[in-house]
Amino acid sequence: MFLLSLGRIIKFSFQDIGRNIWLSIVTMSILILALFSVNMLLTVNVISQAAIGAVKEKIDVNIYIKPDTEESKIMALKAQISGLSQVKDVRYISKQEALESFKDKHQNDPEVMESLKEIGKNPLTPSLVIKPKDVDQYQELIVNLNSIKDDIIESRNFDDHKLMIDKINGITDRVSEAGMVISFTFIIITLLLVYNSIRVAIYTHRREIKIMRLVGASNWFIRAPYLFSGIIYTVVGVSAIVVIYYFFLNLLQPYIETFFIDYDINLAAHFRDNFINIFGLQFLVGIVVNMAASLIAVSKYSKV
Amino acid sequence: MIKFINVTKIYPPDIKALDQVNLHIKPGEFVSIVGQSGSGKTTLVKSLIGEEKVSKGKIIVGGWDITNIGQREVPFLRRQIGVIFQDFKLLDKKTLFENVAFALQVCGQTPKKIKAIVPQVLKIVGLEGKTRRYPREVSGGEQQRAVIARALVHRPKILLADEPTGNLDSINAEEIIELLQKINKFGTTIVLVTHNREIVNRLKKRVITIENGVIVSDQAVGKYML
Ligand SMILES: Nc1ncnc2c1ncn2[C@@H]1O[C@H](COP(=O)(O)OP(=O)(O)O)[C@@H](O)[C@H]1O
Ligand SMILES: [Mg+2]
Repeated sequence: MFLLSLGRIIKFSFQDIGRNIWLSIVTMSILILALFSVNMLLTVNVISQAAIGAVKEKIDVNIYIKPDTEESKIMALKAQISGLSQVKDVRYISKQEALESFKDKHQNDPEVMESLKEIGKNPLTPSLVIKPKDVDQYQELIVNLNSIKDDIIESRNFDDHKLMIDKINGITDRVSEAGMVISFTFIIITLLLVYNSIRVAIYTHRREIKIMRLVGASNWFIRAPYLFSGIIYTVVGVSAIVVIYYFFLNLLQPYIETFFIDYDINLAAHFRDNFINIFGLQFLVGIVVNMAASLIAVSKYSKV
Repeated sequence: MIKFINVTKIYPPDIKALDQVNLHIKPGEFVSIVGQSGSGKTTLVKSLIGEEKVSKGKIIVGGWDITNIGQREVPFLRRQIGVIFQDFKLLDKKTLFENVAFALQVCGQTPKKIKAIVPQVLKIVGLEGKTRRYPREVSGGEQQRAVIARALVHRPKILLADEPTGNLDSINAEEIIELLQKINKFGTTIVLVTHNREIVNRLKKRVITIENGVIVSDQAVGKYML
């Protein structure tokens, strides 16, 4: 008996959508747009996290040591720097290692290799490569490093990576804000559209509803098809966005890869790994929004 | 079967549609209610099916006090009272069979029962050969028969007909009245609201006359007086 009614409710619900098919299509399209902008927002976040991670990876501070310094003195300096609270680790690169990695880097550049031969001896200096614990403590680290007075230090290279990170943060914050405004706007529009679709569906079916009432159909049976339409909109919308968005990510992937050439970011994989979190949540929110819109419309207009 | 005790209905702000109505209709009766337009007949019918709440007094249907009936109980009341309104029509996109079946579907009836009941009621109203036709393919009188069939699907003890012949010519109207008499013979209480003088006079049944919401006459074998 319950299943029978449920079956009929679902059938009526599809009929309701079918009778106002164009309006239903517009409603679902806007719903899909709303979901698209929400997912764009997520994507921007993933990309910016990856970008920040990439920059953080690259951040290090180099201290170059005078070429003929005794190893023990260098080790003492290394220990001193390691003791700083902002330092994650310090790596000593000897003259020899520096030369090897230089040769490695330029092995396909005959001119460089030629001039290296001409010099005859190893022109590179040993160095200490310092990785900060936290990018936010970068400034303090530099202040501390500058205060170390040791005459074995030849030069210090403090590129301002912090500026870069602030820039990335600034851009992503702005993009996220814009994305949030757009998503929110779409959600409101979706709510209004679903509300309107249900209202029109009820208007179209006013005779059926009147008949149902007069022959003794229960209230929930009269209303449930319109609530169910809200669920159908959500199911169709989220299913469509899953397909559309994977397609979109695959288009986007080559550009992302060229942009983050050394870093492994795979957006489709990220969305796949977090499928339930991302689309499940969207489905839940969609259901809540659409059911709310339907419920308001139904309680307002179904008293024929 | 039906009791109105001092029923007054006021539409806001101050339209008195029913004024101190007292009425008792016994099971199996055939009662005609007559009165000019705006005298309160439809209001009386609507208050019987819980569509309008009365302002004062009490309404009892089959021993059930429905004066303050709740939203949830209304459907159960409506399954016991069949109604026919002038503007309570068939759905154009459904056949006569589907129109009648619809009333059962929306009340949760099983397909098996629907298959059994629908042909029965369509036979009672004399439409057994036309069940697959659409409303536009049959006459106005036949459409009204289908409406009556739909009102009968729950085997109601009471059938309320508010001007069922309003849009019909006299021959078709006559046939509808005959049909109502036939249904009455099966034991169903009939309340017929009508304007049609000839019909009322020919029926030779109880006639209640209502004027400005007040019952002005109630005769066992009545005549149309206005
Ligand atoms: N929903 C309503 N709101 C306000 N007044 C109404 C409403 N329905 C009916 N009336 C008024 O109540 C009176 C009785 O109406 P009604 O019962 O429809 O009379 P009848 O069916 O005898 O023509 C009329 O004056 C009518 O205008
Ligand atoms: Mg009337």
